[in-house]
Amino acid sequence: MSDMTIKKIINIALETGKIMLQNGAETYRVEETIEKMISSRIDSHVEVFVMSTGIIISVESEDTPFTTVSRIASSGIDMEYIARANSFSRVFTEGRMSLEEANIMLKQLKSPPRFPKKVRFFFSGMAGGFVVLLFNGSFIEFILAYIASSFTVFFTDKLSKMGFNFFIKNIIGGFIAGGLGILLVLFMGSFNQYADYNKVILGPLMTLVPGVALTNGIRDLISGELIAGSAKMMEALFIAIALAFGVGIVLQIVLSLS
Amino acid sequence: MTILTQGIYSFLCVVGFSIIFNLPKRLIFLASINGMLGWIVYALLQQTSFAFIIPPLIGSLVVGIFGEFCAIYKKQPATIFIIPGIIPFVPGYEIYNTMLFVIENDFSNATISGFKSLFIAISIACGVVIATSLVKHIRLLSSIPK
Repeated sequence: MSDMTIKKIINIALETGKIMLQNGAETYRVEETIEKMISSRIDSHVEVFVMSTGIIISVESEDTPFTTVSRIASSGIDMEYIARANSFSRVFTEGRMSLEEANIMLKQLKSPPRFPKKVRFFFSGMAGGFVVLLFNGSFIEFILAYIASSFTVFFTDKLSKMGFNFFIKNIIGGFIAGGLGILLVLFMGSFNQYADYNKVILGPLMTLVPGVALTNGIRDLISGELIAGSAKMMEALFIAIALAFGVGIVLQIVLSLS
Repeated sequence: MTILTQGIYSFLCVVGFSIIFNLPKRLIFLASINGMLGWIVYALLQQTSFAFIIPPLIGSLVVGIFGEFCAIYKKQPATIFIIPGIIPFVPGYEIYNTMLFVIENDFSNATISGFKSLFIAISIACGVVIATSLVKHIRLLSSIPK
């Protein structure tokens, strides 16, 4: 096998792994996928090391090692990417695809279908709204949380598109969540409708809370991936701190005013 | 009756989170059913005054097992079904409370709710890990030729 082909195969596997990792797949799954993809085409020793911030792949072919390092910046959670990358790797591993075809498929993988903005706006409110009902909120609190979470997700989407750092993004996200929640409660209060702002803020906050990073991190730690797990946990911790910071600013202002 | 309404609420809640996580359209229904099952188990356990760790543990165990079987059935990674399902358990309320206590300078209560949320998160992860390895072993055992 020529060096060129080996490099191409490693590159295809790396790109697939990158797509999965960036969009919230667990590290062990990414490692497994890359290893399977490479060893289905190259008959030699493969080592893959994945953290949440980078991927290292090394393949030893006829005593010459090929090693690639790639830095990863995570870009949120998107299951469509993971599903597509997964089925792509399945087909690739079964060997029903030439390398040129695989490269074309990879390009398509990078632009998956998305829900229209209106649908996303409508349903993201649903997520936050029904959380409030699950925690015994009243109907008014449900409506307010619905509106607040729709707008929170809308604005955080905008912020991530503008390429903000994750910490700043979550501070602003928490600020919007808390601010909208309290404004809406005050607005309803002027019509003599009582709503508990603690419950209303919970809705939009749940759409931002790093639940996935937290559980994935602990999962990695439990299964012995100590570095990957700690990195994920740290990410979750700092997102939580940023959110607390954002909501905290709003609450501090309100508490000191009232 | 409350269980029925809780089931409907959790189903719709998970549908919402599925859209936020951009799940493939054809998988949203199964993922939401999964989340609903998990939440019903969680709500039932919470009524029977268990410690705060047991309900999320068993709930996420249910979500994990059902999710793994959905994954085998649909030939997709199990994360797709598990992640939206466990989101309602995530201790958002405890995290929020922690921050509220910090603002009010009440650090002893802040520590309590902070640790509570950490342990809830750990129990969710444990449930998922147990489910994953259980299903893996069942698959291995059933694939061994007799």
